[in-house]
Amino acid sequence: MLGLIIVNVLVFAGIGGLLALLLVLADFFLANYGDCLIEINNKKKLTVKGGNSLLNSLSENDIFIPSACGGRGTCGLCKLQVSEGGGPLLPTEKPYLTAEEISQNYRLSCQVKVKTDISISIPEELFSIRKFKGVMEKMIDYTYDTKGVIIKLIEPKSIDFKAGQYIQLQSKKYPKAKQVVSRAYSMANSPENNDHVELIIRRVPEGIMTTFIHDYCRKDDQLTLTGPYGDFYIRDSDADMIFVAGGSGMAPFKGIMEELCRKECQRHILFFFGARTTKDLFLTAEMKEYEKKMAAFSYHPVISQPEASPDWKGLTGYIPPLLEKYVRDPAKTEGYLCGSPALLAATEKKMREIGIDKIFYDSFG
Amino acid sequence: MKQTPEEVLIQERLKPGAVTLDGFLGNDNRHYHDIIAEDLDKIKELGITKEEIANRLDYFTDKALMNYDEEATIDGKYRVRYQTERGKLISPFKDKGLIPKGVITLLNTENSQQICWTPLNISMIRNHGFFEGKGAKHRLEPEMLFKALFE
Amino acid sequence: MDINPFVIFLAAIFTGNILLTYFLGMCSYLSVSKEIESSAGLGMAVFFVLTLTSAINYLVYHYLLVPMDLVYLQYIVFIIVIAAFVQLTEIVIERFSPVLYYSLGIFLPLITVNCAILGVSLFLIIRQYSFIQSVAYGAGSGIGWLVAILALAGIRNRLKEKYLPRGMNNAAISLIITGIMALAFIGFSGVAIIQ
Repeated sequence: MLGLIIVNVLVFAGIGGLLALLLVLADFFLANYGDCLIEINNKKKLTVKGGNSLLNSLSENDIFIPSACGGRGTCGLCKLQVSEGGGPLLPTEKPYLTAEEISQNYRLSCQVKVKTDISISIPEELFSIRKFKGVMEKMIDYTYDTKGVIIKLIEPKSIDFKAGQYIQLQSKKYPKAKQVVSRAYSMANSPENNDHVELIIRRVPEGIMTTFIHDYCRKDDQLTLTGPYGDFYIRDSDADMIFVAGGSGMAPFKGIMEELCRKECQRHILFFFGARTTKDLFLTAEMKEYEKKMAAFSYHPVISQPEASPDWKGLTGYIPPLLEKYVRDPAKTEGYLCGSPALLAATEKKMREIGIDKIFYDSFG
Repeated sequence: MKQTPEEVLIQERLKPGAVTLDGFLGNDNRHYHDIIAEDLDKIKELGITKEEIANRLDYFTDKALMNYDEEATIDGKYRVRYQTERGKLISPFKDKGLIPKGVITLLNTENSQQICWTPLNISMIRNHGFFEGKGAKHRLEPEMLFKALFE
Repeated sequence: MDINPFVIFLAAIFTGNILLTYFLGMCSYLSVSKEIESSAGLGMAVFFVLTLTSAINYLVYHYLLVPMDLVYLQYIVFIIVIAAFVQLTEIVIERFSPVLYYSLGIFLPLITVNCAILGVSLFLIIRQYSFIQSVAYGAGSGIGWLVAILALAGIRNRLKEKYLPRGMNNAAISLIITGIMALAFIGFSGVAIIQ
């Protein structure tokens, strides 16, 4: 009896083992793609283990392609040109690519698997994106719902960026949040102060990240972020500039103004900051200081509900109608916008109406 | 009912703390398929389709966007306000595209029906007929929607 | 038994349809038949797996289990052979045709738990088919399953916009439709030359 049981078990284990071995061999020979060479922009060469997505292979080598969905194929931000070795276009990529992009060999890097040597082109700016480990150093209460957040960079120790660009910050799990999320925030420090990252974060009622920052994040907490990203920075020209911001949209302009002041910029600058009441204003004193140091700079806070602040003597109403009055030469003016989508939509519409067509803002919101 | 791993993931993403802090299920214990089935039945009874609802919500959202986060009166009897927020979200159903944040409230002054929704609601209604679970923060009862938008 | 393999093949599709006559393989059939495209994908994958596992299980049974007098192990041995084979198929498809792999998606591993696969392997042993007959039976069952799921998907597609009493959606109405289809397929038994 015992002998029979043993024979049974051995035979079954033997068959199972044989099949498992077969699968391991198949996996080794068929699913193993060996080492593959990724050639970037015809100059940089990387050797990676085949079988991973292009996005992951690149990020393991410290090249960070923008992605809002973590490589799951839903945001479409990780597009790049694959000139050779990308394999056939997958059905998961098609919804995110226009016919023109397909003809120019654009692919979603999170869906392309590196199976052979592959040759790609990416914008030069992406090379300067890094992953940073930092610690929460200080939090400043700017208003009842807006906090300034200063994160000291530990590794790498400094970040190389243009004033106005943004970073992607990762939250941590806390009682109500079971998953970590990654959110974009503009940097409020100037490129001179590059050993830390300063952010301005406003509390959003259901926001996972803003609740984390406002309620759970403490001094010395470790944080991870990647950056710098974005096309929002001051263009080199001598055109007039109009800054329009609201709420946390002040962030990039804080860094930009620090930088422009340091460089003794002579350009004519109008900065409109929109708020509901005087309680929503912050950094007003700092901006007034810049007015003293830079003759061509003027700061104009605009309150939309003056009834609530009877002592207010400044501009009231909404920003777009005021632009016409203050702009000097629309054709020689650049518009820089950062704030709520409603403010941006209305401001852009007005700017185009009055003839300003060089308008810049970050697409992350 | 057997679920594909994708459906399991979607159910997880509808819970609190995954995409938004409060989640989309409220205190509803049913699977999202059942929630959708019941709501789609109801709107069929009311004689409208989910696309019509989504288009109508889009109409008010677009008109309200131009009003600087303040209230506006549209078509004479709808008081609408779009409180925008910065940032974009990805739908828990992993539909293509980044969706803006914010809350839109509408008051139909004729029958005093008030509703509120987010741009994410519009995407979930249009693509999946998902009106959020009962008790969820932005649960859109089909009857209330019909009363507010179409009467 | 000396039945022409081609006859067995046809019988497996029409008169002895593994799904409509023997009611095996119902769960993925009911849940995947919501859409025609995915039904076609799954049906073809099932056909592929059925044909090849019938052949492999025949060989394992007659050249391993019978000589060693371990016939009663057939149930668990067949299952692990099927599971391993489906895994192998996944690896091969992913390697050689990523587009097909993505179209099939989750359906490939789902096939392992499809009881029609095990059912076919067991039936061909009981009916004492030869190797060619076994392969024909497996292939025919696969086609039969594909035909059944495509038919249901097509009918459900037509029902999408129609009004059904509450509670009849999904599984309930699918089972009723399947029953009616099974009745219709009984009509083929007049053509049966065997069994």
